[in-house]
Amino acid sequence: MNRKWRSTIAVLLALTLLVAFVPGCASDDTEEPTTEEPVTEEPKTDIKAAMVTDVGGLGDKSFNDLSYEGLQRAEQELGVEIEVLESREITDYESNIDQLATAGYNPIFAVGFLMTDTVAKVAPMYPDTNFGGVDEFFDPVPSNVVGLNFKEQEGSYLAGVVAGLATLDSFDSKLNSDNTIGFVGGMDIPLIQKFEAGFIAGAKSVNPDVKVISLYAGNFTDIAKGKELGYSLIEQKADVIYAAAGAVGLGTIEACKDKGALFIGVDADQYLTVPDSGDVMLTSMMKRVDNAVYETIKAMVDGSFPGGQIQVFGLAEGGVDLAPYHDFETKVPQAIKDAVESARTDIISGAVTVPEAP
Amino acid sequence: MLGDIITPDLFASALRMATPLALAAIGGTICERSGVVNIALEGMMLVGAFFGTVITLATGNAWLGIIAAVVSGVAVSAIHAFASINLRSDQVVSGTAINILALGVTGFMMERLYGHPGTTDPTGTLGPVFKFAMSDDGFFGTIWNWINGIFLSHTPIVYMAIIIAIVAQWAMFRTRWGLHLRALGEHPRAVDTVGVSVIRGRWIAVLMSGGLAGLAGANLTLEQVGSFTENMTNGRGFIALAANIFGHWTPVGSYLASLLFGFADALQIKLQIFRGEINIPPQFFLMLPYVLTVVVLAGVIGRAVGPAAVGKPYEKE
Repeated sequence: MNRKWRSTIAVLLALTLLVAFVPGCASDDTEEPTTEEPVTEEPKTDIKAAMVTDVGGLGDKSFNDLSYEGLQRAEQELGVEIEVLESREITDYESNIDQLATAGYNPIFAVGFLMTDTVAKVAPMYPDTNFGGVDEFFDPVPSNVVGLNFKEQEGSYLAGVVAGLATLDSFDSKLNSDNTIGFVGGMDIPLIQKFEAGFIAGAKSVNPDVKVISLYAGNFTDIAKGKELGYSLIEQKADVIYAAAGAVGLGTIEACKDKGALFIGVDADQYLTVPDSGDVMLTSMMKRVDNAVYETIKAMVDGSFPGGQIQVFGLAEGGVDLAPYHDFETKVPQAIKDAVESARTDIISGAVTVPEAP
Repeated sequence: MLGDIITPDLFASALRMATPLALAAIGGTICERSGVVNIALEGMMLVGAFFGTVITLATGNAWLGIIAAVVSGVAVSAIHAFASINLRSDQVVSGTAINILALGVTGFMMERLYGHPGTTDPTGTLGPVFKFAMSDDGFFGTIWNWINGIFLSHTPIVYMAIIIAIVAQWAMFRTRWGLHLRALGEHPRAVDTVGVSVIRGRWIAVLMSGGLAGLAGANLTLEQVGSFTENMTNGRGFIALAANIFGHWTPVGSYLASLLFGFADALQIKLQIFRGEINIPPQFFLMLPYVLTVVVLAGVIGRAVGPAAVGKPYEKE
């Protein structure tokens, strides 16, 4: 019995050590070798900015990566020191934020809707630290927190205009004559519904008879599920598919490549971030989280952190936009490009209000 | 509407989604029959998925990738075997540690190998084994299209899983090895007294489960998705454990249980398509496979009794 316990403890300790060592290594990519320190005229500040990723982590080719890009830009252009901690589980949120706040990082960005409650809870405990909540909405907003929100529905409306007109067209062999397009969502939460609502509204605005099929995966990580969702949409004759589903969308891209349909990416310009996707990537709905994060740090450097506010970045503010068509640049008819431009003008002028829920 | 939901693609989709579950579940069955609990199927699947991708990217040959996936699954299961058989540690704790370890190691190695986290470069996917044309020859044409669509449209590992289920069933109940395996889980001392090594028998079973879980991972990456993403197994190892119990610790039972879970998942996707017409929120459909799991485990299919000695380390007198 004694021997058994000893061995058990020995194995457990060994495994714990191994496991403990892994997250430590995972975050050290932030200390990139700065062999070529850019010689900037910017004055160095002593601001240390940090972020906590959502469970998707760095490499999600989506809002975590984009937030990190904003941070990196601040490092290069403003000379701030940066750090990033990745959350493996939802339970990591609070300890990660605590760790950064205790280490003197200020501002700290908490990336993702799911971290809203954690930020609301932790912010009052560190009144001298500023927090930026990407995709987070607070009511009331604590004075040391800024909520960075986006009008995803506006960018998605433009994506809908492209999809609604493309499915009527035949500029690519993957387009069929059935007037059907598809949407793949991650979780059925208000944030993702904004994408869906905008997409449907945009498509119907140019093609009132279009059939839009929306499918939800129930998570943001199951790529294989994303591919099955894509197959199902294509079986229903959808020829343009828009996905707002994190990594799930990567599976949908595979389905599009496999069975022949066009894809509209999300968050980043996915033509650039997803290798070998050029054949199907019609465009992407870009959400400029990087700009929002960068601007917030810049405001802080300038001594005017917008605490206690919810900032909303829409088309007018450059917070959302459509990416270039890339390989489809010459194929996409001018009429579609014109329709996108006029929709953009209408939204910015307020002539069109895009719904937030389908 | 029913005709739109019940299509060949629905069943083909069920087969595809059942395959990784079934392979891992059969692995779990073999392991538990020998008296070792294996909740590390999830981690072994993830490691298999990862190394399958790494080797395919390095060599350009997906078959070498599949072999690598199996070998790496076996390697990880060796940790579990050593801890739970030789060191007689708690099998659930060892399994949990391996799951966490697999998540960390794959993420860490990905950074080291490719310089970025998240998703690897695409490997491309293995194509279907057969490519038969659709027929438009009236009634028989329709029947052919259904058979073709459901059974003949699949990638190699999907067929492998069916063959493995049948062979494992035969081996477990019709061979000397199978008799010993089952006895190991019911009454290891009896096996020991007739001069068969308990340690060796259990080791082989655990390694086999690792290999099968690795193959399940290869199915996910090399056949379904075509790249590796951190934590892409998404809980399939745990559903596989449930399928093993639902299948009453038999390989064919595990396969059929996985097929039911796959079917529930495929059906919920189809039902979502028509949710506008039936007006039910998508969350309802998303929970279908899990509700099914609970219903099944709550004893609808009869009480499931596992091997008597499962989870108990064997100590020689």
